[in-house]
Amino acid sequence: MGIFSAEGAEHAIGHADEGVQTLLLLLLVLPLAGFLLTGIFGRRMGKRPWIIAVAAILAATAIATYLAFQSLSGEYGEHGIGFTLYTWIPAGDFHVDVGFFLDNLTALLLIVVTWIGSLVHIYSIGYMSHDPGKWRFFAYLNLFMLSMLLLVITDSYLVLFGAWELVGLSSYLLIGFWYTKRAPALASKKAFLVNRVADHGFLIGIIGVWVLTGTLNIQDSFEPFLDADLLARDAVALLLFVGAAGKSAQFPFHVWLPDAMEGPTPVSALIHAATMVNAGVYFIARTSPLFASAPEALITVAAIGTFTALLASTIALTQKDIKRVLAYSTLSQLGYMFAALGVGAFTAAIFHLMAHGFTKGLLFLGSGSVIHAVHDEQDMNRMGALWNRIRWTHWTFLIGALSLAGIPLFAGFFSKDAVLGESFILGFGWVFIIGLGVAGLTGFYMFRLMGKTFYGENHVDPEVDPKVHESPPSMVAPLVLLAIPTIFLGLVIGTPLGDSVIFNWLEPVFHPAEELLHITLHEYQLFGIDGSLILASVAVAALGIGVAIWLFGLFNGRGRPETVVAQTERNRVTRFLYTASYNKWWFDDLNHLIFYRFGGAVANGIMWFDVKIIDGIVNGIASVTQSSGEGVRHIQTGRVQNYALGIAIGLIVMAIVFVLLAR
Amino acid sequence: MALPDTVPYIDWRWDDLVFLVLAGVMLGAALLVVLGRDIIRSGLWLVLSFAGLAGIYALLGTPLLAVTQVLVYIGAISVLILFAIMITQSKTGPGALVFNRQWWAGLIASAIIVVLLLMSVMLTDFPLAGTELIPAEARDIARLLFDEYLFAFEVVGVLLLAAVIGGLYLAVKDDDMPETNVQPGPGTGEARDT
Amino acid sequence: MSQSLEAYLALSAMLFGIGMFGFLARRNAIAMLMSIEIMLNAVNLTIIAFGAFTPGLAEQASTIALFVIAVAAGEATVGLAIVIAIYRNRRTPLVDEYASMRE
Repeated sequence: MGIFSAEGAEHAIGHADEGVQTLLLLLLVLPLAGFLLTGIFGRRMGKRPWIIAVAAILAATAIATYLAFQSLSGEYGEHGIGFTLYTWIPAGDFHVDVGFFLDNLTALLLIVVTWIGSLVHIYSIGYMSHDPGKWRFFAYLNLFMLSMLLLVITDSYLVLFGAWELVGLSSYLLIGFWYTKRAPALASKKAFLVNRVADHGFLIGIIGVWVLTGTLNIQDSFEPFLDADLLARDAVALLLFVGAAGKSAQFPFHVWLPDAMEGPTPVSALIHAATMVNAGVYFIARTSPLFASAPEALITVAAIGTFTALLASTIALTQKDIKRVLAYSTLSQLGYMFAALGVGAFTAAIFHLMAHGFTKGLLFLGSGSVIHAVHDEQDMNRMGALWNRIRWTHWTFLIGALSLAGIPLFAGFFSKDAVLGESFILGFGWVFIIGLGVAGLTGFYMFRLMGKTFYGENHVDPEVDPKVHESPPSMVAPLVLLAIPTIFLGLVIGTPLGDSVIFNWLEPVFHPAEELLHITLHEYQLFGIDGSLILASVAVAALGIGVAIWLFGLFNGRGRPETVVAQTERNRVTRFLYTASYNKWWFDDLNHLIFYRFGGAVANGIMWFDVKIIDGIVNGIASVTQSSGEGVRHIQTGRVQNYALGIAIGLIVMAIVFVLLAR
Repeated sequence: MALPDTVPYIDWRWDDLVFLVLAGVMLGAALLVVLGRDIIRSGLWLVLSFAGLAGIYALLGTPLLAVTQVLVYIGAISVLILFAIMITQSKTGPGALVFNRQWWAGLIASAIIVVLLLMSVMLTDFPLAGTELIPAEARDIARLLFDEYLFAFEVVGVLLLAAVIGGLYLAVKDDDMPETNVQPGPGTGEARDT
Repeated sequence: MSQSLEAYLALSAMLFGIGMFGFLARRNAIAMLMSIEIMLNAVNLTIIAFGAFTPGLAEQASTIALFVIAVAAGEATVGLAIVIAIYRNRRTPLVDEYASMRE
């Protein structure tokens, strides 16, 4: 009996009834309408252009929540439901359907995307209240929601690619929202270009899927894919991973994410922490049977993920912009997710996706609140001693930091432990060790951030200092609302340990992949190996936090800034490490060298070739034509005797030919 | 006194000698027509060339044609040409170039054509040709003209009429135009630009 | 030699060449017309020569030649009339200087 049930996968997938079809389509239509109406009429809507957009999102959230709960409670069967809307490209053998598919994986993603999405929309009402272009902002936000929702509910590779690109477009528009300034314009261009490069791999991978399986429907492609030979499967899986790595900013495509912080903070929260960057993780989870049948590709996924996690966390140690620290932290946590996918712990990856989404969303919105409080200052060296003055922001932020660091019993603890524990159990010791180290670093840099921002001495610019105030309720409410899942998500979904709710939800989704990888359930031993793994990760995290608190202070403690300086300056090695970390390990410079200078030289060479040789040939033909025309012109002298000579010459030629022929 | 059978001193037949002389005259005169600087002299050499040709026609046994040649070509056409030369005389005289810029190309082309013609003549057998000269009686020519070729004969008459009318029309002097009849010679006093 | 067809044909070929050279090389329009007459004469000679040496063709050759002479006369008339008309307009008989069809 095959991996898929005897009747075939399509048979096991239920068919969505009319009501569900309508709801799924509404999920797309509502944000689309919001985008169009706000885009067209936004300028004239005066003080409240956000009304349509926010209403559309709230309605979509309600629908999504309903659908998700239906699915998770088993109403739609184990294998989910789907339907085909219409056939987009009916071209003989090549046949593309626009289909939709809803199972527990999609349900969970719907929850993450819509809940965080609506909270970001509400937050933006306050955050963008002074910006004259806010109608554009809400239009773009709705466009983004449309693309993300389309991405998670579609069942077609091609439609997914379309949504993929649309997400990239929305990201470009939103990062470069303040396009009149140079830095955001450059950053949005960088994000789009890096994504575009990765998307080429993605597209070739999709073509490979079609070549190997003959179909572009996701669910339909699993079974035929297994018939291809290993090399082909590995190649296609790797290409698809390239695309996912680009969207989710894994090495070497990670360079766009920190620059994307030039966008408004709600954008950073929504797109670059909670949703868009998760698209890559979602995609690999969605096509897990494909990857499971290509173990070499999967190892590559794990390796890249782990490496990115380590790389990013080392850079986060020295950054001074509060949003950059969070950006590198996001890169690092995404690395965890890819590492989890790579070792085969798909459920853990999705769990971490959810927990991280809420946590990082909370942290970014919180940072927005901090920035707002100190009047658009983002350098942490000019903050400090704020915990008393912006209490709501501080306490919710602290909750987020604890969750991210993996302290029990917050959401981050459960999900991170799932990732690390599974990787060890499944035999990937190196992933576990490096992940453990990253956990320690995570704790350290988060509490370095806390210390510099909220605790210790007040380094706020004296002019700004008296104006420091808490943010309005429209910004604080989402913080509180996000703090709730940050605290409780793990407890609700991640327990009981060893047989958790989320595991049961996602088990039918990942079962085929797990069978392909020969993964079997193991008995959970809380007081055995599993418990020790938990202990290890908590201990390391606590160690990191402890060192950070010792150096950077807690509440009114001021920490030891001199020690920080002394330690980094101690010898050449530490100085080098500090500089390397601060300069992001010079990857941007490397890219600049390769692509801008070297690539530019190549491009210039080709341009020379194009201008001189190709244009030269074309112009040459034209000028040859012209000059030969001018030359031939002289035959028409207007003199009869010249024409007569021509006749004579023609006569001679004909005579000679005739004579020669006669021989 | 009868002529000896062959020319004394050179052992040629009379016919051959006459032919050679006439051919030489004809060719030489034609050459001088073409190469001559003074156009009136060219016209006169042309007359000589026609005369030579008339002689050759006689040698070929077509006395009718010889006489026609003299009458028409020398008597009419050459006179016409000489008149035209008189009318179109310009003051450029000896100073102007005789040949145009392509004369060398014309020379080469003509030479090649002559060579080709000579080659084709020499290299071809003419199976029907004998070595006997066949004279053409005037009576036979007349019969052809008025019998078989009567229509062509009449048409040629019409053609000549058309030519005369056309020539008259073209050459009639407009009253606006000043008369350009200036005798050749020095000192007629009118400078004319050409 | 005078009894051979080739001699007369060679003679006419040379005459034709002279006429052709004159037509291509002389500047004076009337000289060109004279060269044309020379060429016509050469052709006439060819026709008569063939007629003289081919049994049965003699009269017909003469007839053709007569027609040629007649037409040549007509052509000379009209041609010279044209040259005179142009001369009245341009004041020069030199064809090099008739430049309205250039450019």
